[in-house]
Amino acid sequence: MGFARRKLGLVLALSLLGLALAAPFALGKKKEKQNSAGQMDEQKRALHALNRLTFGPRAGDVERVTATGVDRWIDEQLHPEKINDSALDTRLAPLRTLRMDTREIVENFPPPQLIKAVEQGKQSLPSDPVKRAVYQDQIERMQEKQDRKQEAASADPPAADAGKNKLTDEERARRREDRLYADLKAQELLDMPPDQRMKEILKMSPEDRRALTASLKGAKRDEFIEGMTPQQRETLMALDHPQLVVPLELMQAKLLRGTYSQRQLQEVMTDFWFNHFNVFIGKGADRYLITSYERDVIRPHAMGKFEDLLVATAQSPAMLFYLDNWLSVGPNSDIANGVPRSANKAWRKRSNQKNASTKQSKGKRSGLNENYGRELMELHTLGVNGGYTQSDVTEVARVFTGWTLKQPRQGGDFTFEERMHEPGDKTVLGHRIKPAGEKEGLEVLHLLAHNPSTARFISTKLAMRFVSDNPPPALVDRMSQTFLKKDGDIREVLKTLFQSPEFWSPEAYRAKVKTPLEFVVSALRASDAEITDAAPIARQLQAMGMPLYGMQPPTGYSMKAETWVNSSALLGRMNFALALTAGKLKGVQVASDRVLGAASPPPDPQLTLALLENNLLAGGVSRQTHDTIAAQLKDPKISGRQLDDPARPPNVAVIAGLILGSPEFQRR
Amino acid sequence: MSITRRVFLRDSALAAVGTAALPVFLRRAAFGAEQTAKTRRLVVIFQRGAADGLNIVVPHGEPAYYAMRPSINIPRNAVLDLDGFFGLHPAMPAFEPLWKQRHLAIVHAAGSPDPTRSHFDAQNFMESGTPGVKATDDGWLNRALHAAPADNSAFRAIALGPSLPRILSGSEPAVAMNNINDFGVGGRNPNAAPIANTFEAMYAHSVDSVLHGTGQETFEAVKMLKSADPSKYTPAPDADYPGGRFADSLKQLAQLIKANLGVQVAFADIGGWDHHVNEGSTQGQIANILHDFSQSLTAFWTDLGDLAEDTVVVTMSEFGRTARENGNRGTDHGHANVMFVMGGPVKGGKVYGRWPGLDPSQLYEGRDLALTTDFRQVLGEAVSRHLGNKSLDQVFPGFENQPGKFLQLLG
Repeated sequence: MGFARRKLGLVLALSLLGLALAAPFALGKKKEKQNSAGQMDEQKRALHALNRLTFGPRAGDVERVTATGVDRWIDEQLHPEKINDSALDTRLAPLRTLRMDTREIVENFPPPQLIKAVEQGKQSLPSDPVKRAVYQDQIERMQEKQDRKQEAASADPPAADAGKNKLTDEERARRREDRLYADLKAQELLDMPPDQRMKEILKMSPEDRRALTASLKGAKRDEFIEGMTPQQRETLMALDHPQLVVPLELMQAKLLRGTYSQRQLQEVMTDFWFNHFNVFIGKGADRYLITSYERDVIRPHAMGKFEDLLVATAQSPAMLFYLDNWLSVGPNSDIANGVPRSANKAWRKRSNQKNASTKQSKGKRSGLNENYGRELMELHTLGVNGGYTQSDVTEVARVFTGWTLKQPRQGGDFTFEERMHEPGDKTVLGHRIKPAGEKEGLEVLHLLAHNPSTARFISTKLAMRFVSDNPPPALVDRMSQTFLKKDGDIREVLKTLFQSPEFWSPEAYRAKVKTPLEFVVSALRASDAEITDAAPIARQLQAMGMPLYGMQPPTGYSMKAETWVNSSALLGRMNFALALTAGKLKGVQVASDRVLGAASPPPDPQLTLALLENNLLAGGVSRQTHDTIAAQLKDPKISGRQLDDPARPPNVAVIAGLILGSPEFQRR
Repeated sequence: MSITRRVFLRDSALAAVGTAALPVFLRRAAFGAEQTAKTRRLVVIFQRGAADGLNIVVPHGEPAYYAMRPSINIPRNAVLDLDGFFGLHPAMPAFEPLWKQRHLAIVHAAGSPDPTRSHFDAQNFMESGTPGVKATDDGWLNRALHAAPADNSAFRAIALGPSLPRILSGSEPAVAMNNINDFGVGGRNPNAAPIANTFEAMYAHSVDSVLHGTGQETFEAVKMLKSADPSKYTPAPDADYPGGRFADSLKQLAQLIKANLGVQVAFADIGGWDHHVNEGSTQGQIANILHDFSQSLTAFWTDLGDLAEDTVVVTMSEFGRTARENGNRGTDHGHANVMFVMGGPVKGGKVYGRWPGLDPSQLYEGRDLALTTDFRQVLGEAVSRHLGNKSLDQVFPGFENQPGKFLQLLG
């Protein structure tokens, strides 16, 4: 495939050579004319579809989709299970946590609570040598911290100032010694082959190992992990910071999937639904729960029935924890009333009469938590103006009491706890919900999933993702009808969308400004980048204001241009583009022959520019952008030419960086 | 020192009309609101993590305060007394001169009326300016510019930090700046200039109206910044900034303001207030951060010099902390809190707001300081009277915010 593209690029370059510099503008003009006629030609249709259904076209994708036929390609994308994605699977294979269930994750990468339990002897140390080392090091770390705290506390009174300084001096001397020893040890280990290196590390005492792992930073760390298997690298990180491993692997996976998956629409929809049913990785146990949430709740339902997706989120530990529903207790439930687990009916009756007068003095955990009830209607289904009231919020919260978790911090699953559940009838949106325990919640979810407000809200958001920030109402109407007629079948709603004239209208072409995630991944795809470590890219996204899995409020990230177009964001994008193509971004390689689609750049910088425009923007570059770059090519800093070295080839990295930072590339 | 700068301004400026040698701010004041409006600015500071207002402005005249905080109270003889009832935490002597010059006012028992004790919900609400409504997608400080006197400066709204915070997001252009030195294409590499110029020309010629507009603003900002060369506005010799990110943010903000870049609203935040364990009293965690906080703000004030006359600084935090200390010598999430208001037009030297008391029966939900002043009353007054935006129903929709309800903090 790579060869075909390269060949195509070469053919293009040769044909352009004849047309000299006039070619790109001529192409541009021709396209503008077709625009005004209100129709896209097949090539433009392919580009448009790629821009909307994927994280951005790679070089050669337009030709491939045109060859397959745009409509057929869309149909393929709508059935991801039929698309072979084994190349991606290979890339994901080293990220072990992606395949673990929550219990395994917690066990392998223990949270502080678990460490504490082991330290206090409430739980035993694992026997597996790697796991054991992780636990031992964390216990060591915890004890170091406690020691430091005690020292600080004893030195707290101002009178003890002199003693305090003496203590820090001693401490400093000890630390210097530790560091020195750790450095020596690291050097010694470095001389061993990676396998033996790991074995030696596991044999060290927890104290020495902590000193070693803490001393490995920056270039030293890079050198140390060189040649290690991904699992050995993971172990090394787990020894130092077990809690960081899980989120980091998740973020890496998200970027790898976006960049390399063949099932692009499925990834786009997974991102869409995750954002719609947003949970935040920084909130307590959610750090451990999101792996399963994305894998088992969101992705399998991304193009299925909306009700199935809704129920799956409602029962997911990640959501139950994030929106606090697991803590919500019915004010008249057995737990709130202090009814013992073994109570019989007669006891219950007596106790209820007695309690009626002393309601104030009931147990502490008697609170109804409305957080989930509100977001369920406001953000997940009906929308803020979807026709519900505060009373509906409270009633829905009563319905969902008892939907809770078994020990969430240890990977606990969803469970329905009858004793937390509020007894009695509830009324939601005018419907009477009869007492039925867990089934009450399912009844409410069914009701919400089939409400016309939900159909409209979901259709509007989908149209905002795929068409424009302010989608045409007629399109939203037709999508809502499909939603209601086809039992909330998301694939059917998408078909209505992709077959609509609005989707293909000239107004929709490049109408969307990319979010930082869309921008970054589309740049990686366009430049055919080779990602060896996605963590630095994840950090870039954080700097651009879109940390992966890092949106605190349940609203999820905005899809609108106004959120993402601002000065620092634009500068951030330009600088990212330049750093990426210049190879200054750690963990990512951009080979100039792959960006170029040719072994070496044509000696004429103008031709190099034409080739890059074709590869990075599928030729869809404006005359203004082309002229601006073309005019600047005379500058040796951009063309790469030096007065004393006329044979030096044009600077592909800079020209490619300029194109990726151009206005056109900010849109899809 | 006994005459405040503000009093001096009022009395002498009017008498001196027409004297060209007057400092700029005096001339502006003399020539009336039309000219002063342009440079008036509001700086908002967010203490993220829920600061413990009761140990910041200490109600040392409340016996209940000492009863509820046996190990973390600030002893009466240690507070910096303000008015016989309230006193500043002893780590904040930097605020005393400002208080005495009446440039610093305090509003106690203030905050968001929403009952949430979730950090992120509460921060969200205080930034959107619509407590209880999560669907609001822009921030009140951005909306505050809708009807404020226009100014075309690219630096009209600025946040110090890596991304634009919610409080400044919305339809008015706003710049987020992490570091003055990194704000540009290709960092400080001199070879990057032609690349930056190419980007600029590309965006300048673009027919894409959204990107064209922001691109222009961006490069205007980059250029303005370059020509204003804020690096030459080094801190005033007596502006004693401590180390740390917060002080750095304010130092850079002062540079931008002094470089005359047209800043109207600005935002900076300081984290590290969530003291559930070992909060400390006169020493310890809270003392350290309060020193940092008050010293940075005072240095900022000093650094601004005459420009401080047109500046109002308001501080806020998402909620206060429990009136009682917990089992770990710390405090848990509470409700009402304290706000500082600092600036030229501020009628300082006074604690505003009704004090609800700390008797168990007076506490909110039996545990927290009750709320008597909605944060939007304080901010509404600053937006309306200082920034000159009278459409408060758009800045704080759903909140009755007539001038009659203002605390009359600003003169």
